[in-house]
Amino acid sequence: MTDTQPPDRDVDAAFGGDGRTLEPWEVFRREKDGDPMRHGGSVMAPDAVLAVHYARELYGRRQESVALWVVRRADIHDLADPDLLQPPLDRSFKKPGGYVMRDKLAAAREQSGQAKPKARSSRPMPTTDKADR
Amino acid sequence: MTTTRSALAAGIDPAAEAALDGLLLSMADDEFVIGFSDSEWTGIAPILEEDVAMSSLAQDELGHARALYELLSELRGDGRTADAIAYDREPADYRHARLLDHGRGDWAMTIARRYLYDTADGARLEGVAASSFAPLRELVDKIRREERYHVMHATTWLERLARREGQPRDRLLAALVELAPDAATVFTPLEGEAALVEAGIMAEPMAALEARWRATITPIFVGLDLPMPPAGNLATGRTTHGEPFRWLWGEFTSVRRSDPEAIW
Repeated sequence: MTDTQPPDRDVDAAFGGDGRTLEPWEVFRREKDGDPMRHGGSVMAPDAVLAVHYARELYGRRQESVALWVVRRADIHDLADPDLLQPPLDRSFKKPGGYVMRDKLAAAREQSGQAKPKARSSRPMPTTDKADR
Repeated sequence: MTTTRSALAAGIDPAAEAALDGLLLSMADDEFVIGFSDSEWTGIAPILEEDVAMSSLAQDELGHARALYELLSELRGDGRTADAIAYDREPADYRHARLLDHGRGDWAMTIARRYLYDTADGARLEGVAASSFAPLRELVDKIRREERYHVMHATTWLERLARREGQPRDRLLAALVELAPDAATVFTPLEGEAALVEAGIMAEPMAALEARWRATITPIFVGLDLPMPPAGNLATGRTTHGEPFRWLWGEFTSVRRSDPEAIW
């Protein structure tokens, strides 16, 4: 054994982890065919192969999953910055539903002195009032 | 030979029936004893995840043992239940392989024993996978699907211990040295084995299954630079059980013996 190369280097390369210390691995599971992968929880393991074994034992041995994904937590890129995810200005126009109209409509009605329309179910077939929606 | 044969035994060549009894008993006892041995890790394994994994493997083995004892009970048709066969015998009457007779030892010992046993069991299961005895064939089909994972788990650990210089490798080598004389005892020839092969209950004699087993594990042992188990004396491979088994027997029969008449 030379002193330039640790004897266990091949272990680390072969097993996809440092092999010496436990680290967290995130487990995603598919409950049944056609379902999306959902986060199930996590396991501690020294490398990927054992992480998969442990994921099977903890998230799959009672037939509760049809597929598992195991990802080293350190390989997950994190984004939780509120300025980037929850900006303070109204960005509702970026939503697929368009602007939120409720507040603007309420303000317009108040200005014109018009009462809020009753719920549709309590009146006859609506005919002409679609324009304000 | 009993005078009235069970419905299950009716279709079997009488010459093979006693040997089939011996085959089922040896398979069931193997699974039962390793299941109990490995369950000793429950609560004290190195990490929680491994604790769950090893306990789960142990439970699988006990489940296989139960199914095999039930099949044996049905074959005998003498009214003795699977529980009675499993628990109501003296230590000398168990027929598990001597490989499983060693005390729990350290983690390396457990892994070495598991690896040797799981791979040997795999070869034996392959030998009865196409059995002419349908109830065994159907059961083995299910058992093999679980045992596949057991071999993966044992191999994963064997590789890690073997490749890590220092304590892991040293302890593994020590365990293999201790187990070496008994490593192949799963293949102890069965009484009346020829009749089993003749009846198509087993595909090949134990000696041929042992050769298959050695062919399977040789590349792994060579790759990890581990000493292959030598050819052992298999004559008494299932009949002489030592002190560690008597201790384990005392443990696993203690509740049953405390009140043999109890109904659970």
